[in-house]
Amino acid sequence: MSDPVGPLEWAAKAAFYCVAALTLLGGWFAVSQRNLFRAALGLALALFGVAVLYLFLQAEFLAVAQLLVYVGAILMLIIFGVMLTAGIADPAVPRWNRQAVGAALACGALAVGLVAAVLRAPWLAGAGKEFTLPLEALGRGLLGRYLLPFELLSLLLLGALIGALHIARKEKE
Amino acid sequence: MIVPVSHVAALSAGLFALGLFGALARRNGIGILISIELMLNAANLNFVAFSRAQGDGSGMGQAAALFVIGVAAAGAAVGLALMLAIYRHRRTIAADEIDLLKG
Repeated sequence: MSDPVGPLEWAAKAAFYCVAALTLLGGWFAVSQRNLFRAALGLALALFGVAVLYLFLQAEFLAVAQLLVYVGAILMLIIFGVMLTAGIADPAVPRWNRQAVGAALACGALAVGLVAAVLRAPWLAGAGKEFTLPLEALGRGLLGRYLLPFELLSLLLLGALIGALHIARKEKE
Repeated sequence: MIVPVSHVAALSAGLFALGLFGALARRNGIGILISIELMLNAANLNFVAFSRAQGDGSGMGQAAALFVIGVAAAGAAVGLALMLAIYRHRRTIAADEIDLLKG
């Protein structure tokens, strides 16, 4: 990793940290905004940032899947949910519950501890053999070695679809 | 990789802590769902980063990340349907006001 550092590499590093900062900012908006619609937009920023980080990690297929499934589908579901349940921006409604202070302290401690541990840990150098997974290998893996979880996942999605329809359906009086 | 893997892991730890805080402290049910999606994304980021750093030729890391995305989609669908049903019955989705089972 100590290659001669060219200006392009500096630019790539800077871009990476910018995207990382934007992702964290989006995450902060997502958990802190009182207006749930804005929180959903913060989530969109965070999800988009994670997709770009996948590109940096050379997982192109995952980046596209993230955009399609998360930004395209899950986020839209969430925004529908926000709009169908009123009172999202009511300033009289407290946005945090009673355990917010304790949760903030615990999560702050968790974050500090995890980051310190992660930055200090002696990482196994992957024998220097960084490896870009070809898309073909991923596809063969999904239809070969990981076929059972892949098919179970389709079953789970079908079950979730039917279950969600049944739960959200209007009851006949 | 253009940055050390520990920096990606640190970012993911920060994202996870943010999501955990949201899931613990948010009152609104949909806000809790949003926070859970954040935590799932943090875990996924680690899968992909480690898979890339360790030269994972079998695609295990990326396949696991794909499965997580799929399960998260199922979870979000059922969770939002639950929120809609609760809102229809109780006219609120504040998690600390839904206490029908509290006797």
